[in-house]
Amino acid sequence: MSPEKEPLPDFSDVQGGSSSTAPAPKAEQDAPRTYTVAKGDSLSKIAKELYGKAGNWHAIYEANKATIGSNPDLIKPGQVLTIPEV
Amino acid sequence: MRRRNYWIFGATVLMVGAAGACKKAPPPAPAPTAAEPAPAPPAPPVAVAGVSLGRAIDAAKGVAAPMTTFGVRDTVYASVATTGVSPAATLSAKWTFQTGQLVDSTSQKIAPTGPATTEFHISKKSAWPAGKYTVAITLDGGAPMVKEFEIKK
Repeated sequence: MSPEKEPLPDFSDVQGGSSSTAPAPKAEQDAPRTYTVAKGDSLSKIAKELYGKAGNWHAIYEANKATIGSNPDLIKPGQVLTIPEV
Repeated sequence: MRRRNYWIFGATVLMVGAAGACKKAPPPAPAPTAAEPAPAPPAPPVAVAGVSLGRAIDAAKGVAAPMTTFGVRDTVYASVATTGVSPAATLSAKWTFQTGQLVDSTSQKIAPTGPATTEFHISKKSAWPAGKYTVAITLDGGAPMVKEFEIKK
């Protein structure tokens, strides 16, 4: 009888990120920044994460009305949102 | 006889003088020109200078208190110092658990114009499994710079 294998740890809830003091390459600066909605996300949560201020969710909503629709409280996992500069 | 010697002497003097007069004058020294500026040395290519781990970073993306042991609720930061310049380079961080299991992988595109610092971080909503971890930092897919750390309960 072989010993049971220990299940692998679950890292699915790990959040990684990065930032730099170096400027982004030119092509990168021109490309719009995007964010893919994950399960449990809300616009204010995304705004808090990306801008450091939850109150900036309006800017994300305004830039993505066509994707989100009329209800800013209803965003779906997998939706790709454009993140405007604020 | 003596008179003839005078003639010879006089003729010789005249010939030497004439030869000297015909000698081309040396060309004037060229006017000094402004020294051409030496071409600027090529900027050094971007390279990873070092990686520090910590649980917090400062405004300059540096780790104030480097450490290699973390708690199960900590956010782990890897601060990567680079030197040199590049119009476009990619720094990548691959975080793995002791078994080699992938924890997270993140890339950051940079266009450094001199020394720069790039931070990578991982956090987990639930507690980190205790154990040994590694983060491998690569620049444009080159040889990784690996740092090990441990998470303890």
